[in-house]
Amino acid sequence: MALSRREFLKASAAAVAFAAAGASVLNPKVSEAGDAGIKWGKAPCRFCGTGCGVLVGVKGGKIVATKGDPAAPVNRGLNCIKGYFLSKVLYGKDRLTKPLIRKGDKMVEASWDEAMTLIASKFKESIAKHGPDSVAMYGSGQWTVFEGYAALKLFKGGIGTNNIEPNARLCMASAVTGFMTTFASDEPMGCYDDLDLGDTYFLWGANMAECHPVLFSRMIDNRLKNPDVRIIDFGTRRTRTSQMADQYVRFNPQTDLALLNAIAHVIIKEKLYDEKFIKKHVVFKKGKENIGYGLEDKFKFTDDPKPISFDDYKKFLEKYTPEYASKLSGVPAAKIVELARLYADKKRKVNSLWTMGFNQHVRGTWVNNLVYNVHLLTGKISRPGENPMSLTGQPSACGTAREVGTFTHRLPADMVVTNPEHRAKAAEIWGIDVKRIPDKPTYNATEMFRALDRGDIKVLWSQVTNPFQSLPHLNRYRKGARKGDGRFVIVSDIYPTKSTEVADVILPSASWVEKEGFFGNAERRGQQWFKMVDAPGEAKSDLWQTMELARRLGHGNLFPYKYAEKEIFEEYRKFTVGGKDLAPYEAYVKARGLRWPVVNGKETLWRYAEGHDPYVKAGEGVKFYKNKKDDGRAVIWARPYEPAAESPDKQYPFWLCTGRVLEHWHTGTMTGRVPEIKRAYPAAVCEMHPDDAKRMGIKNLQKVKITSRRGTIILPVDLNGRGKAEKGNIFVAFFDETKLINELCIDAYCPISGEPDYKKCAVKVEKA
Amino acid sequence: MDSSTKHSGITRRRFLKDGVLLPLALAAAGGGVSTLFLRRADARGFYLRPPGALEEGNFLAACIKCGKCAQACPYNSIRMSGAEAGVAIGTPHIIARETPCYLCPDLPCAKACPSGALDRKLEDVEKVRMGTAVIVDRENCLSLRGLRCEVCYRQCPLIDKAITILPRHNQRTGVHSIMEPVIHHDKCVGCGICENACVRDKPVIVVMKSPPEQKDYYEF
Amino acid sequence: MSFKWWPIRRLVQLGVIALIASPLAGLNIFRGNLAAGDLLGVGLADPLAFMQATLASHIFILSFFGSALAVAAFYFVIGGRTFCGWVCPVYLVTELNDRLSRYLGIAERSYSLSGTRWSLAVTLSVSLLAGIPLFEMLSPIGITSRAIMFKSWTPLLLVLGIMIVEALAARRIWCRSLCPVGGFYALLGRFSPLRVGFSRQRCTGCGECSRVCPVEEVLAPSLVDGAGQVTSGDCTRCGDCIDICPAKALDVNIWYK
Repeated sequence: MALSRREFLKASAAAVAFAAAGASVLNPKVSEAGDAGIKWGKAPCRFCGTGCGVLVGVKGGKIVATKGDPAAPVNRGLNCIKGYFLSKVLYGKDRLTKPLIRKGDKMVEASWDEAMTLIASKFKESIAKHGPDSVAMYGSGQWTVFEGYAALKLFKGGIGTNNIEPNARLCMASAVTGFMTTFASDEPMGCYDDLDLGDTYFLWGANMAECHPVLFSRMIDNRLKNPDVRIIDFGTRRTRTSQMADQYVRFNPQTDLALLNAIAHVIIKEKLYDEKFIKKHVVFKKGKENIGYGLEDKFKFTDDPKPISFDDYKKFLEKYTPEYASKLSGVPAAKIVELARLYADKKRKVNSLWTMGFNQHVRGTWVNNLVYNVHLLTGKISRPGENPMSLTGQPSACGTAREVGTFTHRLPADMVVTNPEHRAKAAEIWGIDVKRIPDKPTYNATEMFRALDRGDIKVLWSQVTNPFQSLPHLNRYRKGARKGDGRFVIVSDIYPTKSTEVADVILPSASWVEKEGFFGNAERRGQQWFKMVDAPGEAKSDLWQTMELARRLGHGNLFPYKYAEKEIFEEYRKFTVGGKDLAPYEAYVKARGLRWPVVNGKETLWRYAEGHDPYVKAGEGVKFYKNKKDDGRAVIWARPYEPAAESPDKQYPFWLCTGRVLEHWHTGTMTGRVPEIKRAYPAAVCEMHPDDAKRMGIKNLQKVKITSRRGTIILPVDLNGRGKAEKGNIFVAFFDETKLINELCIDAYCPISGEPDYKKCAVKVEKA
Repeated sequence: MDSSTKHSGITRRRFLKDGVLLPLALAAAGGGVSTLFLRRADARGFYLRPPGALEEGNFLAACIKCGKCAQACPYNSIRMSGAEAGVAIGTPHIIARETPCYLCPDLPCAKACPSGALDRKLEDVEKVRMGTAVIVDRENCLSLRGLRCEVCYRQCPLIDKAITILPRHNQRTGVHSIMEPVIHHDKCVGCGICENACVRDKPVIVVMKSPPEQKDYYEF
Repeated sequence: MSFKWWPIRRLVQLGVIALIASPLAGLNIFRGNLAAGDLLGVGLADPLAFMQATLASHIFILSFFGSALAVAAFYFVIGGRTFCGWVCPVYLVTELNDRLSRYLGIAERSYSLSGTRWSLAVTLSVSLLAGIPLFEMLSPIGITSRAIMFKSWTPLLLVLGIMIVEALAARRIWCRSLCPVGGFYALLGRFSPLRVGFSRQRCTGCGECSRVCPVEEVLAPSLVDGAGQVTSGDCTRCGDCIDICPAKALDVNIWYK
């Protein structure tokens, strides 16, 4: 029975071949001829506002690969680790594939017709009984431009309510109001090229190393090439960004207001300002002070800007001596003087970059104004390589939320509902009676969920976002959603989330390249992509969902499209002509994104700058032409320091700051579905200063109980992690859906922007 | 009483045969077989021992395989090896890719060791030396390819000490920097958190007993 | 029903296994196993494990020595191989295995008791010379404990092997002739004050005691020569002979006679 040697060899060869064949059947990525058969398409990354381009490889109706797009100017083939695993976010095991309707405590599968019939009936019933302001849409900076536009048109032009808000209210609203109050036009004048061209970078409340990874590596490369480049990181927490910066300037939370005024103080006192620039391009104004914190329901605030003179402004700044700011902020006075001189150094090309530290701030609008003040005083603005630049966190916070204007007070392209001319223009483009568009803004995001809690809003539809993990003071709003009494919550998403938990109807959505899309990134770059794969099961795009509701509510005539995406874009483009011009759709199909205004096929790198911005005439140099009210000048605002809504006291002695980490994105619903990322960073921790821990007898990794006036959470302490909390501060990331840190956050917001302050509230820490 | 003598009494011959020779033969065989096992454990591959472990030979000499260290570990990082480990059967080790050592500040595992196989006088986690991380596959390291990964660096409990980032110009894109994780073997404690966190299917950074020897000179 | 030792002994044996398993249930009573463990915070150690590790590693840990000494003293007082008869989980396994094989009537042959002393000597000298705690590597006691503690099952093949050999070829050979732990405790037990007493007057010579005794040689001096106590260190103090004796000729002595 012994096998001969030859037979044995034959048998083993057959076994090997069989095993190999089996392997390629099991692994779709292994194809006989390598990459052959994979079709590649372009798309922007689904995550942050950087807007990296990726190539998506499709085979057999499934995404089999993604890679950085070498032709994309933003990232030139690179990605961060989230972008690297992009394709996996669509293929989590628990993808929602069927509409689900709540029956008691259970969510029961239903057909689209059943679900949409139920939703339409709830909308009709609520509108009939309680008026159009009893229904609301809560969307996101992850909506494609088409989806945001359709929702805006349906709610403002169809249903007749301004109850539409994006989650961008929680992340970019202060940047918007900052731009609007200073320049009367939203979005930055500069672009990412400034990261290559400048030589001095002031970072304010931005952990670029983790939250804008590809842009950060670009800035660092600039320093590698030019040893004169200086990166100064102002922060309240020592981050990976601080680690690589030339200087880390630690300041006490909220005192950025005083610091920026002190920097302006020094610039004026030492006559470092650009007098010619100020005379030509700047006016001075003062607004209301002691403006409150939006803590009470139905909080309302209207600023009352008064023109002041340069001398008035100088007088206003007298108080903000480096010594005074030093006392508040903890930054040595000499350091403030040194950095003010650096800001004003005529030989330096200075940029300021900021993110949520500025925007999620109870004086977010003010602090945005104050950083512009410094750039306007020194004239370091609207020039290649020197600009203030607000970075964004969502792929289309700019493109959809801000440019399309899916806020309660906005209409597309910087227009507002309170302006009759703007309403008229919108009504004309939409072909409706102008009276259909209500003239009063209703609720900002926080107020919208307060209204749901009170019962003033009955039906709320949330698309492409996860408010019941991301809102501040979560306990109130999570409970509010389930109070019954006619409240009806619809959540469209791709996975079960903390928000689908409280939903009455869950709709399965198509995501990213499962539909055609258009995003706008932080440097005004619009990027288009085509649908490349089918959504799983019965999942459908949010655009289809919104238009289906419109049809069932009798507003189908607003959406008479055959090729909805393209036609919506061309319709929306009409709003942008003459200011924030977008190119024709076909141009975006070909390009790896274009930065608006795109006039005569040419994109704009630097707004308000002669030779770059088509709206600036020859000889003008710089012109802030959008601020017609002030004769094309930008506004320097006298904005004082005012304390945070809640500061540490004896009972709650720590500042709590929340934020992001590189691996996870926002509430982690997508990155949490990537096993590799989940393994790399599985759970939230509480960063704490070792001295505080030592004083309290807390050891590294030990569990602590963190309590605010609004909630309690138990987390392991991290004394030596990637982020190092300063004394008296703790930091917790908000991606972990099993640890809802936002339950502790205060729902105070900037009265002007309506953006909540997730960076500052008072907590106590005890051993758990 | 004859029968009972026959049953329980011991003849000299039986004593010699069963009482001395046989057990001696068995014991000698056992000793011989086990001596064959007494090759250095790293000949069978490197075992990542719990913090405070003696050098492998001494560790194997002192470990009595009681499992108290494994029971003391709050993360279940420490496992007891099975028969596959040969001479190291029943000894504690860590499979970093599955659960690494999280470096509890009070080192409960080392404190639990009765026999001195783990140094229970060890107080400072930064003095732990279990091994050292090595990037074994530079081609497949995402950070070295310019992607912003650096998960190993950010998850390192000795961040900026055991692993630092060395930015280099990325020639391919021309405007970005490659953030290269650099391991400092004199600081690395070998906890394996980087190996655990690495996002590649096969981790490109792994803990080894010691870094591969690199000689700058030619040895004749 | 008259008083019997065996239910108590069985309870103790199972109790030991329960203690070893207790951390799995999250209980904080016992940590470790029979090589070394903490019972209610008190450090205990197998004296033989201590000797092997110390000889092999040349490291002397005072607390380890203390724990081993305390355990040695304890077993000295209560009879030495009492460890085998009452505590050791392998003994329990082989004991039950023996019942089975007797029921099936397969294993007949027994080997001399003195083997354990030799294996003790080999263990200690290999530990010293090779620098490896030899017995801890092979110990079915450790293997069984770790199987309970960590669900590490494969090494139990060794225990299975012992069971097969014992069932088919050599009755109770592991405990009788091979286990160095038994060898060590036999040395202690030789001098322990706790012994089985024998009354020649009551003995009817029925031989039941020898039949149930795992180490029946130890009874010979009493049964043959009428010695009043079982003095051999190999006696495991299991009490089975006392339980079985219809004439109550055997009992527990707590002092030398």
